[in-house]
Amino acid sequence: MEIVDYLQEIKELKKANRIIKKQLERSESDREKLEETNNKKECLLRKVIDELKEYQNKLEERSHELEMMLLNLQIMQNKMSSLGSLVADVAHEINNPVGFIAGNLAPAQEYIDNLLHLIELYQQTYPKASQEIQETIKVIDLEYVREDLPKLISSMKEGTDRICNISNSLRTFSRADTEQKVLFNLHEGINNTLLILKHRLKANKIRPVIEVVKYYGEFPLVECFPGQLNQVFMNLLANAIDALDESNSGLSFDEIKANPNQITIHTALIEDTNHALIQIQDNGVGISADVQQKMFGHLFTTKPVGKGTGLGLSIAYQIIVQKHRGTLKVNSVLGEGSKFIITIPIS
Amino acid sequence: MFKAVVGHSNDPDSPSAVEEVLQQCASSLAGDIPKAGILFAAIDFEHSLILQQIHQAFPGIQLIGGTTDGEISSVLEFQQDSITLMLFCSDEVEIHAGVGRKVSGDPITATKQAVEQAKAKSTATPRLCLTHPESLTTSGVAILNGLKLALGQNVPIFGGLAGDQSRYQNTYQFFQTEVLSDSVPILLFSGTILFSHGVASGWHPIGQRSKVTKVDKNIVYEIDGKPALDFYHHYLALLSPSMEYPLAVFDQNGDNFYIRAPIAYNQEFGSITFFGDIPDQAIIQISETSYEDILAASKASFMNALDSYPGREPSSVLFFSCVARRQILGTRAKQEYQNTKLCLTDYLPACGFYSYGEIAPIDRISETQFHNETFVTLILGTR
Repeated sequence: MEIVDYLQEIKELKKANRIIKKQLERSESDREKLEETNNKKECLLRKVIDELKEYQNKLEERSHELEMMLLNLQIMQNKMSSLGSLVADVAHEINNPVGFIAGNLAPAQEYIDNLLHLIELYQQTYPKASQEIQETIKVIDLEYVREDLPKLISSMKEGTDRICNISNSLRTFSRADTEQKVLFNLHEGINNTLLILKHRLKANKIRPVIEVVKYYGEFPLVECFPGQLNQVFMNLLANAIDALDESNSGLSFDEIKANPNQITIHTALIEDTNHALIQIQDNGVGISADVQQKMFGHLFTTKPVGKGTGLGLSIAYQIIVQKHRGTLKVNSVLGEGSKFIITIPIS
Repeated sequence: MFKAVVGHSNDPDSPSAVEEVLQQCASSLAGDIPKAGILFAAIDFEHSLILQQIHQAFPGIQLIGGTTDGEISSVLEFQQDSITLMLFCSDEVEIHAGVGRKVSGDPITATKQAVEQAKAKSTATPRLCLTHPESLTTSGVAILNGLKLALGQNVPIFGGLAGDQSRYQNTYQFFQTEVLSDSVPILLFSGTILFSHGVASGWHPIGQRSKVTKVDKNIVYEIDGKPALDFYHHYLALLSPSMEYPLAVFDQNGDNFYIRAPIAYNQEFGSITFFGDIPDQAIIQISETSYEDILAASKASFMNALDSYPGREPSSVLFFSCVARRQILGTRAKQEYQNTKLCLTDYLPACGFYSYGEIAPIDRISETQFHNETFVTLILGTR
């Protein structure tokens, strides 16, 4: 081998030596960094697995809650359905005896008129009655009886009429829907619902009566599931009463009287689209924008445990939007009140 | 004619390394005179000496470059502690260099100076810009925004931010024979240059989504109302935030995300500094990757560029790959380049480096963006 070759080889070996030395330095620091990177990955993955486990637990809890709720709902549905037929039966049973009374009131009135007329005749024919008769007339206060008896009868008539109305409302409200939509008078549905809610609307120690103002427009019978729509009216009106009661908190009877609780029901025909429009408005507490976004969702409730299921509005939404292809919207300003706007196709 | 040649040496001795690189280049040039060049060098070399040698060999060359955290070429493939030089010859493409200094003080003015300097020498409209700017003194987004402003919307920008082997102390940029810091060197290409590119990452968001609640450009102070460091410590225990575990920053719809990597943190304030800006109230998630995902992404980046090349015969390819990719790949880092080579039938001169941030448009039609954790491919040619 020539000297030049040796020199070349030495040069190359020196270069190789330099490279290897540098690579050694490098590999050490690279190894350390790689170990650190791996440590980080281990921590990260462990944490993410923990997060996933936590998430899974939450999901399981939620699913358990939902199962329980479904079970409770099924029980409640059964109860409601038997209660519904019970109410219908009771209403029917009440109608019969009320029928006896109502039916007998007219002849009773006639008999009484006849008897009073007869007494009058007697008095005219025999003005000088015996001492005993005169005393009896005095004791029974005949004049007053004569005056009060017709009033008594008409009051009894009024009573039987009211019983009839309530039992009819209960029958209509609790009737089970058929599979097919039927023609229904929405105003009748709203009126029946108001009648059933009358005990909640009337005055109590805390506040005066809740004023219900109705502006009914004219539209034909609507093809629908009446029982379901009654349920929606009941839900919206009961919520309105809740919102009004809530708004009364901290106010005196007189203060409330000065600015009375009010529910306004407005109905109209939307001619362009042939829809019925129903607006139910209250001047209660109103709904925050945040709650407005969530409130048609499943299981959302602002009410305390045991007071609301969180299903009312979501079911109302389903009934209007899915079952009737209508719309259900809300306009609300916190502190001023809420307006629920329903539209339903007429046919 | 557009010709690119490459030299690459892993000799740690600077004079020997530059000699070797120049020999390789001279032999490939076969007598052609290079107009411009780009040098990628590891941090430990005597950079000034290397630049002077190159200028001595090719007087009047338009040269830029900078320090790196790993180098790539078609000569020695993947290396650490090496220098690689790509030289360009052409009679139809003009290439001119410019530099902006003290970029952290005023990114807009510095980048404007760089562009004006390069433009002053050009006779044709610029078609594309290559850059190798500072990474540690200011945010990559600020530098890019300055360049975009100076160049206008029609000139796409490509490149990578200078590195220092993950020491995060000092990076250097090269302009002609000068070794600078806090600067933005650029090469402006004008004339009949054809090019195409690809960008891909491989990082995926993992864990829970959070919101940036206090931020000043690229310094995040609070996430979900708590110190930003707490967010990282939640996932990485007490280990420090690092580039391998960047944040995925989601757009307003929450569907698409881009990646922002941490560069430093402040224990006292609980803040983390990132390579690029993060918007206030942005939805973020920590993200991670695996070597399969990284390698699949770099291949996709190369294939995208190759498939969309507007000519028939590309002359060269440049790669800008994120240092975090090299860090996670470990001994597999060499596969990033090797996989691209497998997609080619003919030899294509290649040169690239591992950077602290990549610059490229997402696709052919959109404007240039700053990236972290990506693999950017840029294919150049005239035919």
